[in-house]
Amino acid sequence: MIQFTDVVKRYPNGVEALKGVSLTIEQGEFVAIIGLSGAGKSTLLRAINQMHTITSGSLKVNGVEVSSLKGKSLRRFRRGIGMVFQSFNLIKRTTVIKNVLAARVADMSIIQSLLSFYTKKDKIIALEALDQVGILEKAYIRADQLSGGQQQRVALARTVAQQPSIILADEPVASLDPVTSAQVMNDFLKINEALNITVVANMHHVDLALKYARRVIGIKEGIIVFDGPAKGINRETLKEIYGRDLTEDELMGEK
Amino acid sequence: MATFIAMIKGIISRMLKWITPPPLVLSNGKVVRPAISAMWIIIPIITFLTVWSVSMTRFRLDMLLRRGGQFFVIVSRMIPPNYFYFDNIVNPMLATILMSLVGTIIGVVFALPFAYASSELNQSKIGKFAVRGFFSIARTLPVLVLAVLAMIIFGAGAFAGTVAIAIFTFTIMVKMFFELIDTADMGPFEAILSSGASRIQAFWTAIMPQLWGQYYSLSLYNLEMNIRNAAILGYVGAGGIGIVLAERLAWRVYPDVGLILLVLMITVLVIESISREIRRRLL
Repeated sequence: MIQFTDVVKRYPNGVEALKGVSLTIEQGEFVAIIGLSGAGKSTLLRAINQMHTITSGSLKVNGVEVSSLKGKSLRRFRRGIGMVFQSFNLIKRTTVIKNVLAARVADMSIIQSLLSFYTKKDKIIALEALDQVGILEKAYIRADQLSGGQQQRVALARTVAQQPSIILADEPVASLDPVTSAQVMNDFLKINEALNITVVANMHHVDLALKYARRVIGIKEGIIVFDGPAKGINRETLKEIYGRDLTEDELMGEK
Repeated sequence: MATFIAMIKGIISRMLKWITPPPLVLSNGKVVRPAISAMWIIIPIITFLTVWSVSMTRFRLDMLLRRGGQFFVIVSRMIPPNYFYFDNIVNPMLATILMSLVGTIIGVVFALPFAYASSELNQSKIGKFAVRGFFSIARTLPVLVLAVLAMIIFGAGAFAGTVAIAIFTFTIMVKMFFELIDTADMGPFEAILSSGASRIQAFWTAIMPQLWGQYYSLSLYNLEMNIRNAAILGYVGAGGIGIVLAERLAWRVYPDVGLILLVLMITVLVIESISREIRRRLL
């Protein structure tokens, strides 16, 4: 369970990205966060695994106050939370399997990780994660040889190999074409349902957000302006979140 | 006094007018004033520095013209080289190559952690600038000075030369490599960090795979440079071919000198071309 209570995030340059956010996300939910660029979506997501520290308020994940974590305890906490990025953030000059295995280094000693000593168990976990996203046969190909959609699947497999209870996805399909986007979103849905992993995803594409997420959170200038089931979203709520009417074209993708 | 200042002002404004290019008038009547060329400042400065250097170093062109031809006399005495001297230079030449090889390997290996500490990945600002500052100072020591220092501590010979090369490579490799670390793609680093790895683990797993090719390439570049360095280290007694070269030159046995230079040239060329080929494949 993720619990935000009056969370404020102020950057050193004075910008207030979150202005008192309160919300609760239960284990196993699939939540999409929508809003304009700069509305605070990315900050909200990165507060959960403390890639950004919050300025005030309380943020609890599975009962643990995130801002109380430092050093080793923070790293152990992060192992339980996976993250997927818009630009995939793969290590391009190395193989797919090594990219997935990279998620295992957090569990290894410093000597083991310097020698890249992965156990057979690690390799099995990595290969199974690749199988889950349907690209097992690409395991020994260099990551930069893959298409964008395949790369994002490798990134998803890397996160699954971490065996997390939560996956944070920062614009996971924003740099993919509509068909590939749908495939990747299906993978997210499959993993969410099969493994009961909470998925919190920032989304640019409103139609994809409505189609895959059961719950949608609209954020505008650091304040939550909508929080409810995807079915509850209509023209009026979108106007509230984006500041003006969206045209059919702007909704994108298939209806 | 006031008239003096006015006079200086007058001279300056007249000079400015003299070096200001004439305004250009377009067909529609617009006037464009071209900028004053920077050459009016650069040329006087370079002229001054040149004149100053010539007087300081007592450089004499007539001497260069009168005695410069001796160079070709000496070269002609080296030809043909004394091929029978070859047996005497095999070992020193091999020592030179091995000194550079071992020195380079030690230097580049030890440079890695310090390059990390100098890069933007080091979160401690004080630590980062302390390491960078230390290496900036260390880099000002020429390899010959390091060799003399090493000889005072370890005695004359190839070991002192190896130590000098290792330290020299270490100090410059830290700078070369930390600048590369700072150009790496930080995305994978963030990804591995978010999975709960430590910064060192994330550096090793996400940044280094991007840079291994360039790391080996820089190491080979250092090796090339060190072979040329190692050849002169013998001049101060720090082992290798330089010792033999200095001795033969002091005795003015030019055919032997000719052979030494020939072997040295071939060795450097061969190692450079091997290294260039490997680097081409790496990048």
